[in-house]
Amino acid sequence: MKTLKEMLAEARQVVPEEGPAELQRRLASGEKLVVIDVRDPDEYRDGHLEAATNISRGFLEFRVGTAVTDPSTPIVLYCQTGLRSMLAAKALKELGYATVINLQGGYQKWVQSGLPVVREVPMTADQIQRYSRHFLLPQVGDKGQKKLLRSKVLLIGAGGLGSPIALYLAAAGVGTLGLMDGDVVDLTNLQRQVLHTTADIGKPKVESGTRTLKALNPEVNVIPLPMRITAANVMDVIRDYDLIVDGSDNFETRYLVNDACFLAGKTNVHGSIFQFEGMATVFAPNEGPCYRCLYPTPPPPGLVPS
Amino acid sequence: MQATEVVKLLLGIGEPLVGRLLTYDALGMRFREVKLRRDPKCPLCGTAPTIKDLSIHGNGGGACEITSEHHAAVGVAPKAGG
Repeated sequence: MKTLKEMLAEARQVVPEEGPAELQRRLASGEKLVVIDVRDPDEYRDGHLEAATNISRGFLEFRVGTAVTDPSTPIVLYCQTGLRSMLAAKALKELGYATVINLQGGYQKWVQSGLPVVREVPMTADQIQRYSRHFLLPQVGDKGQKKLLRSKVLLIGAGGLGSPIALYLAAAGVGTLGLMDGDVVDLTNLQRQVLHTTADIGKPKVESGTRTLKALNPEVNVIPLPMRITAANVMDVIRDYDLIVDGSDNFETRYLVNDACFLAGKTNVHGSIFQFEGMATVFAPNEGPCYRCLYPTPPPPGLVPS
Repeated sequence: MQATEVVKLLLGIGEPLVGRLLTYDALGMRFREVKLRRDPKCPLCGTAPTIKDLSIHGNGGGACEITSEHHAAVGVAPKAGG
């Protein structure tokens, strides 16, 4: 009869191990990788790696096919300390998965290394109903919805573009929405700026916007920022957000947001319109061009109407 | 469209509009896609950037340097409106 020690030693012959820093580097680089947490569901709920899917050890061989569609995709397994997952990794190797790596030291070492984890907050019955149509989409699902609920998006401008974007994001359950606009609602805004109503004329746009968004989805945390974005405040404001949406109405702001997002490494979802024409693109620092790659400097005043 | 891009980026799904400019002409009801490349001479994200902080924007809200440089490099006129 084999001892546990012998079984682990055998597994180590065929399963390479990597430490938390190495895995974090792979994840940050966007490498195609499947991370499976093989602990029991209650351990997973108490805290896990954001990228991880939970398939407990007992069900691994039965369910691995749902998480890994291409057997050549590298798989990283982890458990609490790295022992259960070592044996699990050997089982996957035997099933024919090409690259199976064990996270050395497991979840415990990941946490001790100060790397980020997420805690599973169970959804309420209302949330399950509200987002049920998202759960039907395989690309979103329960995991995606929880990710949206944890996300923070800053909307610069609560006008023609900002209004519908804010409504859709609040409805979709993006957890935190920063709404930044220094203007007050004007009667001329209402034919397109659907966040605001006739009763809101004269009130700050972020105030009416917050009320509309809260009415649509009360659990969204709306942060009203009743100010214009400036070189002095932009870095402090964008710091806390995962993603910035530029729905502003002037070139000064567009260049400022572009420059600040690039310098802070934040992705900027850009949109702009004029009369019957519009355009949209995404400026992701170091992955693609920025606004200045398109238009190096602002157009002279008067050349392009805003 | 922007909202869908936000959700895709947050979830890491699909193909976001990175390096692509989507233009929309409501009167003709036509969409057009323009490929965008990084400009190695970009003053911000190019190989020898001249913009390294926000000082060109001043403190009041960003008075960018105004030039009459040609703006049709991508064949799409910039739009300010939001």
